[in-house]
Amino acid sequence: MTELEIGQEVELEFGGKAKVLSVIGSGGQGTVYLVRFNGQKWALKWYDIDKMKKPKEFLKNLRSNIADGPPDNKFLWPKYLTKEAEDGTFGYIMDLKPEGFDSFVDILNTYKLEIDPLTGHAVKRNVKFSSLTAMITAVINIVNSFRLLHRAGKSYQDLNDGGFFINVNTGAVLVCDCDNIAPDGSNFGIGGKPGYMAPEVVRGIAQPNVQTDKYSLAVVLFKLLFRGDPMEGEKVVRDVCLTESSELKHYGQNAVFVYDPNDASNRPVRGIHDNVIKFWRIYPDYIKDAFIRSFTTGISDPTKRIIENEWQKLFIRLRSEIIMCGCGRTNFASMFVQPDEKTFKCPKCGMEFATLGFSDRKYRMPLFLGCKFYECEIIPESEEFMKVAGELVENKLKAGVLGIKNCSDRKWRAKMPDGVFYDIAPGKGFPVWQGLEIDFGEIKAQI
Amino acid sequence: MINENMTEQDVNEVMNSADTAEAAYTDNNTVDDPLDFDDDPLSATGVSRKSLVIFFLIDTSGSMKGKKMGELNTVMEELIPEIRKVGEADTEVKVAVLTFSTDVRWMYSAPIPIEEFEWARLRASGVTSLGAAFKELNARMSRNGFLNSPSLSFAPVIFLMTDGYPSDDYKAGLNELKNNSWYKFGLKAALGIGSEANDNVLAEFTGSADTVVHAYSGGQLAQMIKIIAVTSSQIGSKSMTLSDDTSHELGEEDVFAAKQKLLGQQIQELVNKAETDDVPFDTGW
Repeated sequence: MTELEIGQEVELEFGGKAKVLSVIGSGGQGTVYLVRFNGQKWALKWYDIDKMKKPKEFLKNLRSNIADGPPDNKFLWPKYLTKEAEDGTFGYIMDLKPEGFDSFVDILNTYKLEIDPLTGHAVKRNVKFSSLTAMITAVINIVNSFRLLHRAGKSYQDLNDGGFFINVNTGAVLVCDCDNIAPDGSNFGIGGKPGYMAPEVVRGIAQPNVQTDKYSLAVVLFKLLFRGDPMEGEKVVRDVCLTESSELKHYGQNAVFVYDPNDASNRPVRGIHDNVIKFWRIYPDYIKDAFIRSFTTGISDPTKRIIENEWQKLFIRLRSEIIMCGCGRTNFASMFVQPDEKTFKCPKCGMEFATLGFSDRKYRMPLFLGCKFYECEIIPESEEFMKVAGELVENKLKAGVLGIKNCSDRKWRAKMPDGVFYDIAPGKGFPVWQGLEIDFGEIKAQI
Repeated sequence: MINENMTEQDVNEVMNSADTAEAAYTDNNTVDDPLDFDDDPLSATGVSRKSLVIFFLIDTSGSMKGKKMGELNTVMEELIPEIRKVGEADTEVKVAVLTFSTDVRWMYSAPIPIEEFEWARLRASGVTSLGAAFKELNARMSRNGFLNSPSLSFAPVIFLMTDGYPSDDYKAGLNELKNNSWYKFGLKAALGIGSEANDNVLAEFTGSADTVVHAYSGGQLAQMIKIIAVTSSQIGSKSMTLSDDTSHELGEEDVFAAKQKLLGQQIQELVNKAETDDVPFDTGW
């Protein structure tokens, strides 16, 4: 029973029946159906056990994943198992993907195909992040989900572009296809997707684990930001046809990063890899250095790969360095002119931005109307990277006067123009001025 | 190395149409004038995709007339949306259809992206010039012909469907084709329709018996076409799966023709599962 019929009922392990309503999609291991169960709609994944190497072990692992529950709510986690059919086939149900999320694949393609129900013709619809902040937030969310997963002692195994849904307006992320997740060190037959697999997996000398996940994560991040393949450059394109042996060579035995500073043999090719060439000019050095490390020393030595916590810090910094200029130009601070070390200037309209320096870090945060900082940036032990702590706003009573509003639930102290520190309760604010100093508690900041 | 048929000129064409980005890298440490290029971090084109061309070689000789052709036309129309799902973000799938009867003819003058492909219904008449079809395929299956994508390509999928014994010298055509590297590395599968089709000829074309299947009825024909087309385009646009044995490092000999072998296995598994209870083409007249 590899395929289910529409209208068919499938018994769940702990009682109840799920009625098959339609097909949602199919993948390498089986098919996902829309089902009704307990009066609600769910997704049912039904396996083609003939395509699986170890169905019994796989089922056992799935059962223990369900018992453990997801590391957090960003995972579309298996909920309930079905009863095994007579031939050993099985499946599980999970929540449906909520509205407003696009697949990572569609984001990389920049469009998605929607089938016109009347004509059956495919129509292209653009898929693009609505803001730079949303895109970098999505990156932070992806990194954070894998950090949580790895902290739970599990590895995702086949991390690739099919594994995420992203809200392009908010940067919210959902990790899907969680059924191959397994305790670090085990593998139930899944290999991974070419281009995303770590070189040692391609070469056949390692099975997927937490370290190979880290490589795949770097590929996912590179693809999302640079919109190209980190290993596909001149050297690969010269082969013209990607046969099995060229794949083994370029993604396994002799993988060379397109911007390896010590090996220029595989640079991106104009006309083919224009995205990568363009974005490599845009991102600041600390981001590029992290990718260089991941794809040079990190190729041969898995322990040199960037850990999730490090990625998370780098991208929280990158998010704080986004400047939205009044002229409409939005970019990273590194793409603005720096007339002195405390000021950024828009190269297009000349507008200048003051910056806030923090006591625990060297880089400065540019200030512009609407800019936000988050709890993890003002409380050392905080992991809250989505909880807004402060925002630059215009005084509602005095037009044109800009200040910082305390959106956190803690009291701060700020130095006012009269030279005296005042308490700033949650919900209150203070003007931004030349001598401003803020005391967040352990962390201090000043203009 | 690979693709002997691919000349130095072919490679140079790729490289000339495209400058390497060395300049962009070395410039990187000096301050770029941020306004001398489109520096919007959100404006990107789609990731460069690898292309995969699926060649359908279809027998339109007179013996295909009637139910076989009707069935074939219908299933091909239905098949296009299913193949559309295969490529996803990484692969741009294109389709080229070569029909052969007394003459050989391409349905369109170039491979068409699957999103835009529309099946033009075929009619049957004439004899079975399979050798001429092989020659024509060989002529077009080149960098200057149908496989001219500037970015990387996967080896093509070549799917042959016929219902009779070739009426011309197919061996001469096949010998020419066998020297073509795209053919060598391509994924080949064949479907014999009805009892006249010769599986040995088809196996000569695919290189192995397990990538040849046979359909004796309309239901089977539809089923087999779908199995072969979907499986081969899936395998063609993705690639090698993991080996369980991590005790020795994979070498070139381990991965050589791995996809063709996998295609043979999967086709056989699916064919054995497929049901066979409807009426054969040749009975019930």
